[in-house]
Amino acid sequence: MLKIENLHASVGDKKVLSGLSLEVKAGEVHAIMGPNGSGKSTLAHVLAGRPGYTISQGTVTFDGRDLLALEPEQRAREGVFLGFQYPVEIPGVNNVYLLKAAVNAARKHRGLPEVDAFDFLALVREKMKLMRMDESFLSRGVNEGFSGGEKKRNEILQMLVLEPRLGILDETDSGLDIDALKIVAAGVNSLRGAERAFVLVTHYQRLLDYVVPDHVHVLVGGRIARSGDASLALELERRGYDWVTEEAA
Amino acid sequence: MTAALAEKISEAHAAVRDSLAPAVVTPDQRQRALRALAAAGLPTTRDENWKYANLRSLERVHFAPSSPRPRTDIPEAALPARIEGYARYTFVDGVFAPELSSVVDVRGVSVTSPRSSGAHGRSASVATRMAAALRAVESGAVPAARSDDRLAWLNEVFATDSARVDVGEGVDCPACIEVLFVATEPAQTAASYPRLEINVGANARLGLIERHVTALDDANFVNAAVHVNVSAGAQVSHYRLQQAGARATWFDTLSAAVEKDARYDLYVVNLGSLSARSTFHVALVGERAELGLHVVSLADNLQVHDGFALVEHIAPYSKSEQNVRGIAGGRARVAFNSKVVVREHARGTDSRQSLRGLLAGPQAEIDVRPQLEIYTDDVRCNHGATAGKLDDNMLFYLLSRGIERDMAQQLLKWAFLEDVVARITVPELRRHIEASLAGQMKETAAVKELV
Ligand SMILES: Nc1ncnc2c1ncn2[C@@H]1O[C@H](COP(=O)(O)OP(=O)(O)O)[C@@H](O)[C@H]1O
Ligand SMILES: [Mg+2]
Repeated sequence: MLKIENLHASVGDKKVLSGLSLEVKAGEVHAIMGPNGSGKSTLAHVLAGRPGYTISQGTVTFDGRDLLALEPEQRAREGVFLGFQYPVEIPGVNNVYLLKAAVNAARKHRGLPEVDAFDFLALVREKMKLMRMDESFLSRGVNEGFSGGEKKRNEILQMLVLEPRLGILDETDSGLDIDALKIVAAGVNSLRGAERAFVLVTHYQRLLDYVVPDHVHVLVGGRIARSGDASLALELERRGYDWVTEEAA
Repeated sequence: MTAALAEKISEAHAAVRDSLAPAVVTPDQRQRALRALAAAGLPTTRDENWKYANLRSLERVHFAPSSPRPRTDIPEAALPARIEGYARYTFVDGVFAPELSSVVDVRGVSVTSPRSSGAHGRSASVATRMAAALRAVESGAVPAARSDDRLAWLNEVFATDSARVDVGEGVDCPACIEVLFVATEPAQTAASYPRLEINVGANARLGLIERHVTALDDANFVNAAVHVNVSAGAQVSHYRLQQAGARATWFDTLSAAVEKDARYDLYVVNLGSLSARSTFHVALVGERAELGLHVVSLADNLQVHDGFALVEHIAPYSKSEQNVRGIAGGRARVAFNSKVVVREHARGTDSRQSLRGLLAGPQAEIDVRPQLEIYTDDVRCNHGATAGKLDDNMLFYLLSRGIERDMAQQLLKWAFLEDVVARITVPELRRHIEASLAGQMKETAAVKELV
């Protein structure tokens, strides 16, 4: 589904990704771990099409199509979803309005008519229940005045409503207490399926107790230094990142 | 003002003098205003508060109003739809057009046109204030504030009619009157001088919509003068929708006095005209008088929207709150200069100014300037001004959800205006802002295709 080959990316003068390769197949869950500043968010942003990054080498294909050639909104409509590490607050743009506009944009892309307002609200309410979100959320601005945990849950809610084919979650687990973590994990697990894939960017393995990955990769110095199965995450938890860094050097 | 311009105004006045209704402004008062204008001159961009106004177009204007008879050939369909609950009074090129109007049916509320009724044109308070201002000019002592009223004097010279709204003591009419001013003549042929006088009695409540549109020809010259008197304990919501013609030059001078325990909310929505300049002068003359000034300005292409507000806190414990939001697209310019003056006796004043501009075009310009002059202690005044572009992080967030770029930008623009627009409770007006924003977006998309 997603194939990254020899990706080199920099932000400003700083080279962040240097020769990263990764293949994600439909149905798989990949965890990307790594120390702070190793380039995890950069990878997530580059995949979602955030401006400000220069890609000097490499290719990224999504279902065989050149992902890097698409505008961010096109990527989203093709089924790529980024759950932000730091979701932005947008006062004045209503949460539900954003969700509906997003759903309709995707439907238009697929040649479908606009969603029925009544059905849509029912769907949002159902997913909100799953995410244990308060009713008042419906009338608030996007992430406006949300706590850190609420913002993260809101990201997952959006993902549940949009049903992307590839979910890239950038440290959705950080800053969550154990209850919120379980809620978020349940949300992700509810979407898991043969036709979907996930890339979970995380700093700790805690989330991976609840969303068990098929593959775990360690990002060091802008490339994948080590890959393994779920047990690699446990090993990292025990031993820290230093040994991988040393081995990579 | 150049001597040539003064001459031109004087000649124009001489030519139409006999057709100007004395019931609107007496010949004597017109002469006075004319002399004051000749002495003080029309503003130029060298004047302190007129830096951003487009004044060059004045040179091409034919200052005299159109023929004294109002046009009757404007079909109702050429005018905007009526607004539910509001009685409409239409003025065409500044003259009352009864056939395009309806009558308000609320006890204690009257709207009169001195030209058609022959009634004495002005309320005593307005007349007294204007006369005092003119005397000051004649005596050579022109306070800076008054010199910003110069376009109101020009209106005084040529005024053809007036919408005089009187609301009796204690009358409650929250959705009441719409005064619609239609300009039809091109600037080279004739000018339009809308006039509106609002007198609200003690403890009354009034909701009034003042609206400026164009019909037949959109290159009008419009110079409006508005006076508002809010008596003790009264509450006035004054909605102003400026949808003047796309090629119009539009000026307006609004002065208001707010008495004890009264509140005046002025909602200004500037959408139209090629060049629009508004001058507001609000005096909080009674204890605990309150002003809310809420301004939305959307300018695109080559439009210029310039605003100047002088808010004077004269009495103790008065309160003013200003929220100005401007969006400039294309090569447009939005300027707003707001000056709050707290006079000697106005202890306990509470004033807030929030002026924000959004640059939505590569060559757009925003100038927002809050000013504060305080002549007493014990006041709470704060102000903020910002000018910037759309937030890239917000934009990317919306795009990353699959929303079209145009739509995402429009949403963010709407969000930028939201805190001001949310307070406009007349749905019709909100729809106009929305439609105008959408139009602005289409325009830029269309231009992109051409380039
Ligand atoms: N906008 C930016 N300008 C300069 N440096 C940046 C910018 N964004 C990220 N970086 C740098 O790139 C490196 C990788 O950052 P990031 O991808 O956010 O790491 P991670 O998510 O793994 O913590 C860091 O050294 C960070 O300081
Ligand atoms: Mg990060």
